[in-house]
Amino acid sequence: MNDSITSDVVIVEHMRKAFGDNEVLRDVSLRVGRGEVVAVIGSSGSGKSTMLRSIIGLERVDGGTVIFEGADLVRDGIYVPEKQQRRILRRMGMVFQHFNLFPHLSVKDNLITAPVTVAKKHKSEAAEKAKELLSKVGLLDKLDAMPSSLSGGQKQRVAIARTLMMEPRVLLFDEPTSALDPELTGEVLEVIRELAADRMTMVIVTHEMTFARDVADRVIFMDNGLIAAEGSPKEIFYDSQNARLDAFLKSFRDR
Amino acid sequence: MSRGIGYTLAIFFFTIVFSLPLGLLLTFFETSKNPVLCGATKFYVFIMRGTPLMLQLFFIYYGLPFLPVIGKYLAMDRFAAGCIGFILNYAAYFCEIFRGGLLSIDPGQYEAARVLGFSRAQTTAKIIIPQMIKVVLPPTSNETITLVKDTALITTIGITDLLHYSKSLVNSTQSVLPYAVAAVFYLIMTTGLTLLFNKLEKKFRF
Repeated sequence: MNDSITSDVVIVEHMRKAFGDNEVLRDVSLRVGRGEVVAVIGSSGSGKSTMLRSIIGLERVDGGTVIFEGADLVRDGIYVPEKQQRRILRRMGMVFQHFNLFPHLSVKDNLITAPVTVAKKHKSEAAEKAKELLSKVGLLDKLDAMPSSLSGGQKQRVAIARTLMMEPRVLLFDEPTSALDPELTGEVLEVIRELAADRMTMVIVTHEMTFARDVADRVIFMDNGLIAAEGSPKEIFYDSQNARLDAFLKSFRDR
Repeated sequence: MSRGIGYTLAIFFFTIVFSLPLGLLLTFFETSKNPVLCGATKFYVFIMRGTPLMLQLFFIYYGLPFLPVIGKYLAMDRFAAGCIGFILNYAAYFCEIFRGGLLSIDPGQYEAARVLGFSRAQTTAKIIIPQMIKVVLPPTSNETITLVKDTALITTIGITDLLHYSKSLVNSTQSVLPYAVAAVFYLIMTTGLTLLFNKLEKKFRF
């Protein structure tokens, strides 16, 4: 089973997770290759977000295995020691639906606090990198702004830059545009598109079907705690053989 | 009278300096996952908030020395007893204020800190406490102003504070003026604190 470790960044096998009686993930297996962009679609409650949160350790799974760059995070439901977990999780990044910027810190400090505190980087070095990433997301002029003065789209772009400061090997997006006004989604999706062009490894849970079709190398359709369909955007959006997927996609088209 | 002001200020100062950190520590105990620590803290707060501060002062100064066996080691001077009583009592109130502040923090803040690699201690120090301060400043200001006035209670265990002196001056001079002077001193202290907290609140407006 070690043959593909060099090319797969994330390997998930038979992941299970229940909240009380509610089995949210029933048996999920997934591989994400280096440089691959995977879009995860499905109706709410299908387990998309829980899968993402379980990969990055925000939810504790009940069973299954998560391997990141060849290192176990959890094997057959048994987690490695906390310190090891943190070392593994530090190489992953996550962007949240509600941005979760630190409201008491300026944009610059939001970006540099983790590198300085966690990765023990020099403040000046981190500040240089912060400027570079902010100009990448088009917000260099907001360096000294407080988060409360930003629009939702700007907040999410800052959140993406903040995550990139830690140089993650994979970026997980949990519905990055769902909390945004429709006219602000474009600027965030544009940033993600650019990351995809840079061959950033990404798993994106999204309701933006057009975006998923355009940006993803592979699309995963989750239904009722399982991966119900998986394939290229073309296979998923145009040649689907799955009745549940058809119904899901139809509900989007009818909107 | 100036000696009396000295005692009033000293009680106030010692109480603030020790009860704020003790209150924060109790908050972390009360919100910890350890059921013993959490239960013991809840009980402590229940006792301290549910009984009169004056009773607690009497208990510590007059009562403790009567405890069997250990009582004779617990006799202390009035000022020490007064400080301990005030610190223990105010720590319980601050604990509840800070707990409210802690509960107001969006869980997403912990998640963001976690995925960025912050340890629990780093998260608390860099992310949680600064946001708590903003929320707890107004109630803390309120409680601190109450403390200024509560210091007058130490008169009851025989400490010669501002109120004590003004009372004896009223008796000896047969004039109401010393009470008015005392009132002005309390007002100066509370006004100063109000201004200070207003300034702090402005600083933590983000």
